[in-house]
Amino acid sequence: MALTLKAQHTLDTGDLESRRKIVKFAVVKNTEGTHVETAELASFEQAMLPHLDAAYNLARWLVRNEQDAQDVVQEAYLRAFKSFGGFRGSNGRPWLLTIVRNTSYTLLKKNRSVDLTTTFDEETHASAPELASPATILEHAENAELIKNAMNELSPDFREILTLRHQEDLSYQDIGDILKIPTGTVMSRLARARAKLKECLLSNISQEK
Amino acid sequence: MDAYLDGQLDPVISQRVEQHLRECGECEQAYEAEAAMAHAISQTAPYYKAPSELREQIRFSLRQTLGMTTSRGAVEGAPLSVERPETTRRGASFAMPWNWLALAAAIVLAAIIGATLLPRLRQPGSDQFLATQLIASHVRSLMADHLTDVASSDQHTVKPWLDAKLDFAAPVVDLAKDGFPLIGGRLDYLDNHAAAALVYQRRKHFINLFIWPTTAGDGKAPPMVAHQGYHLLHWSDGDFTYWAVSDVNIGDLDNFKQLFEQQTTRR
Repeated sequence: MALTLKAQHTLDTGDLESRRKIVKFAVVKNTEGTHVETAELASFEQAMLPHLDAAYNLARWLVRNEQDAQDVVQEAYLRAFKSFGGFRGSNGRPWLLTIVRNTSYTLLKKNRSVDLTTTFDEETHASAPELASPATILEHAENAELIKNAMNELSPDFREILTLRHQEDLSYQDIGDILKIPTGTVMSRLARARAKLKECLLSNISQEK
Repeated sequence: MDAYLDGQLDPVISQRVEQHLRECGECEQAYEAEAAMAHAISQTAPYYKAPSELREQIRFSLRQTLGMTTSRGAVEGAPLSVERPETTRRGASFAMPWNWLALAAAIVLAAIIGATLLPRLRQPGSDQFLATQLIASHVRSLMADHLTDVASSDQHTVKPWLDAKLDFAAPVVDLAKDGFPLIGGRLDYLDNHAAAALVYQRRKHFINLFIWPTTAGDGKAPPMVAHQGYHLLHWSDGDFTYWAVSDVNIGDLDNFKQLFEQQTTRR
């Protein structure tokens, strides 16, 4: 530092007054800008970091691996911060989850690891063992591995609606907002998702035997 | 029935469904199967909690987008984790140009300021030159988004951080209750030795307090220097030499000095 200053000293000119004013202006402007940004970052983190687990859980179910889920969540938080100015609501979780979901789909589409049209697949072979007794299900309902595998066999739109409803405990209204579908569709898709999950579960159980 | 299961019905309809389930065995059985599924998802299926390093990673990236970090990182312990090279690289790739640009801009501006200040300050001797360095460092800290290396209002965070990086243990006190909240700490190099810079806030203004171990040459400088709207206060407690630099009024700065002295002599 000392060397730089000494070297600059030899460049001394008579036009110092005007230059100094310019410099002063730059300093003040930058300081205030930093201050505002810091305050915004603080309020963003206060509003959104509490939902980190919810964000990660949704991403983890959608992209189905740890590494991608972490990338998605990080990317989603950066996107969220950029549009945080437009967020006016008091309910940050659905807002954040919308962004997490969109980011997850961007990744899924890019990787093409998942055929997003598998949704329609269920109609074609929906005639699996249908007469599931509650007893059979209850018997296996505590088997985490079994439930997890069955969930992961579902299409992304079933996975997300099940986790939003049953793990995040969000209302039909909030889910509709996140998925951009009417409440009626939320209800019917949820019913189909549970039916499909039950089907996968039972088919896995019968295969195990 | 699904809406009933999901608790999304209004109480009247909900009661009617309940009534029906009690009377109709077939529906009740179907309902129990559905409820079992719901229970399996909410209770048995894993709820994936975010790994703790993800939180730090996010906080670090957010600061990078604001250009608030340097290569040292403002979020203490932000893991530039070895096992996650992709994210680290992704974060760094857009942040590095910012940091370097900011650094370059800071050097250029500091040089211009230096050039304007130097002719007036240098003649009387090295004390004035030190004052110039102090002001330049203060201004630089505000310009380059590099106010702090460790951002914390907790003196018990800032002090260990500085102690670990310097070969002396600078006193750190929080004066928040007196209107001078501690913002963080920074490393600096002034007058040919490493210095601790503590950053305090006074309303919208910042105070840089530079601290280094007293050497034989210190203490000769005048206790107060005012230049170009900046005030510099200088004192020493035998072990350390202190320089407080700020654009707050001299009364506030003197008040700050006295509060700091009281706190440090008490311990």
